[in-house]
Amino acid sequence: MRRRDFLATSGVSLWPACSVAFAPQAALAPDAFRGVGSRVRITGMKIFGVSLTPDSDRPYVFVKLETNQGAVGWGEATLEGKAGAVMACLDDFREFVIGADPIQVEHHWQSMYVHSFYRAGPVMGSAISGIDQAMWDIRGKVLGLPVYKLLGGPMDARGVRGYYHADSEDRQELLRLRQTALLEGISCFKSGLPEYYEWIATRAKIERAVRHIQMLREGLGPEIDIAVDFHAKTSPSVATIICKEVEPLKLLWVEEPCPPENVKAMARIARRTTTPIATGERLIAPYGCRELIEMGAVDILQTDINHVGGISALWKVAAMADASGISMAPHACEGPIGALATLHVDAAMPNFLVQEICSGVRPEMKEKVWEEWFGFPAMRMVNGRFPLPEKPGLGFELSEASLKKFPFGGTRPMARVFHQDGSVAEW
Amino acid sequence: MAELDITDLRAWLLREPVSRRAYTVLQLSTKSGLKGYGECGEVAGEDIETAKRLIVGRAATAHEAVRHTLGASRVQAAVNIAMLDLVGQFTKSPIYQVLGGPTRNRARALASLEGASDDELRARLKERHAAGFRAFTIPLPPSPARNQGQAFAIAVVRRVETLRALAEDADFVLDGAGSLTPGDAAVVAASVERFHLLWFDEPCRISNLAAVRKISDESATPLGFGRHIEEPGEVQDALREEVIDILRPDLARHGISRIRRMAALAETYYIAVAPHHHGGPVGTAAALHLAASLPNFFIQHIPTPDAEPDRRMRAELTGGSIERVKDGFAALPAGPGLGMTMQEDALEKYKERGL
Repeated sequence: MRRRDFLATSGVSLWPACSVAFAPQAALAPDAFRGVGSRVRITGMKIFGVSLTPDSDRPYVFVKLETNQGAVGWGEATLEGKAGAVMACLDDFREFVIGADPIQVEHHWQSMYVHSFYRAGPVMGSAISGIDQAMWDIRGKVLGLPVYKLLGGPMDARGVRGYYHADSEDRQELLRLRQTALLEGISCFKSGLPEYYEWIATRAKIERAVRHIQMLREGLGPEIDIAVDFHAKTSPSVATIICKEVEPLKLLWVEEPCPPENVKAMARIARRTTTPIATGERLIAPYGCRELIEMGAVDILQTDINHVGGISALWKVAAMADASGISMAPHACEGPIGALATLHVDAAMPNFLVQEICSGVRPEMKEKVWEEWFGFPAMRMVNGRFPLPEKPGLGFELSEASLKKFPFGGTRPMARVFHQDGSVAEW
Repeated sequence: MAELDITDLRAWLLREPVSRRAYTVLQLSTKSGLKGYGECGEVAGEDIETAKRLIVGRAATAHEAVRHTLGASRVQAAVNIAMLDLVGQFTKSPIYQVLGGPTRNRARALASLEGASDDELRARLKERHAAGFRAFTIPLPPSPARNQGQAFAIAVVRRVETLRALAEDADFVLDGAGSLTPGDAAVVAASVERFHLLWFDEPCRISNLAAVRKISDESATPLGFGRHIEEPGEVQDALREEVIDILRPDLARHGISRIRRMAALAETYYIAVAPHHHGGPVGTAAALHLAASLPNFFIQHIPTPDAEPDRRMRAELTGGSIERVKDGFAALPAGPGLGMTMQEDALEKYKERGL
């Protein structure tokens, strides 16, 4: 018997006053928000695993919410290397979602996070992210506005400034990339480090890393912004040496100069160099960003809309960061739904810097599939910016049938790399 | 979406006839004929002119972008509320739904008790309790000197005891009005610990965090700060220094959006928000929408003038019962936008001057 039924039959007066105070609150009555909530209700939740190639190590996880008003919402919960776990976690939230009023997304975000008792790690964070995005998609469609307008944007009607990846070891190739960028209005690129590093690195490796970054600047030229992703391959000790060496190159940022668990270690690197430090793609929930923001050490936060907790959480993290003068450059290396959702939040951030997409200047198979799905070149820049969607919600239609061509190929591990001596290396 | 383009901005400075409390009501019109309302504190005519120049032609949906255009202008709060009112009316939804709520189905309410003596405060408590309030702000007794002695601590304790005896179901906030030294405030906070006040508000000015920290280090009485805070960065400082238990940003200064941004910071410290509100009924409506959009809202102060002419003015302006409280809670406005019907003739009737 539910507690409120019990109270109804037994009468509250049977309970001594002090016991009532200690008894748990009755479950929320179905009409608890009558008159203040909307009439929209979620009637169905579908979960899709989508592998663009059968052996993809990054299968997309999409979630679709259906409502009693006809409007549907799409969200993304892709978690690299843990697709099956996220799909199971989404299913664990089914009871939270079915029957819910998606307009009151903040209420549901809190309920998913708090009522899970164990606070969200990446699996639960990604599941909440997918559901949150889908609820925002419905909210925009029902309210008749693109999400970025609900959030008070756009800060810049020309669209959202973005960057592509430039993974090249070749100076000539970089010079050609520079010409393309100047022609197409692309203002920024990101590249990585050429090797894997132990927590203390040999002189040769450090010098190769510095030369690689110097080559990027020489090839791309002074007017193009360059970010270098250390991808947590370096320790604080090694990262600091490289960051100091490349100070004269005035990089836009160095990203994840060490792994994310130890905020003080990250802050120590940031304190020891003027090279701006960016991090945050692996952080979950505004709570997970609190210490980093509080210390005010890093310059740029890169929380990922597919892990941090969707639109609601990314917006909050940006607001928190703004109070410390920290810029936002959200990570986006998964599927197109989360990437498109990110653009909406970017467009309403006063402290927005630049948006990632893990693509190059020339579209490949992935980008062609995305265009097929949405009917427009999703996450392709025009004049260095991602155009803003005009339609209500997240601004796209997606048919389940178009996903069927790419059945779920199962969870695959992310890259596994090892040092010369067989010990485990950071990828 | 040209229909949401703002075509006009007007403002009225209103003053309550008896309390002399003043606030500015601002009206934005759109091409489609919608009228949105907002409120801020007393501002000069030039501020309104500047805001008008910057706002007319912008879309009502661009409330975040416009917030930056206005910079530090005090009119920003009213413009923000009025733009959200317009978005709500356009989407046929209360503002809290536009912002992702409701996170709750009603808002806990707080009333001030004003008066010099304990007897006056008791009389006010009876009135406000009968009006439906269950939480009350009480002023400190008069403090004649720096470094108060035992007599002052006894007077504070007696005041709290006297009022508590009158209403068993009531909770209290002790209002320091920024008047004490940190040392005196720490003594008071410790003396009233056993009463389990909701919090001790603004015991001293918050300009020096190390000094303020003395109070929170020496007592478990929760501390409320924020009515003078201008920038979200100040909130971050206060949170980092662990001097704050409940955040009290001023509605007339910030409007809805800036307080939501401060609340996001406070949330990760498990700190609740109780916006400071000393203005008019449009501000109260905005505060209730804000409350229902926040996960970490705790209580909303609702101004309750003593004089009947003031109360009549507030009711006439919004044509209804926005500020009505029952069993300690205010109902959420349910209509689109702010969910109230602004009475333009009342604006004209009560205006001290048009702006």
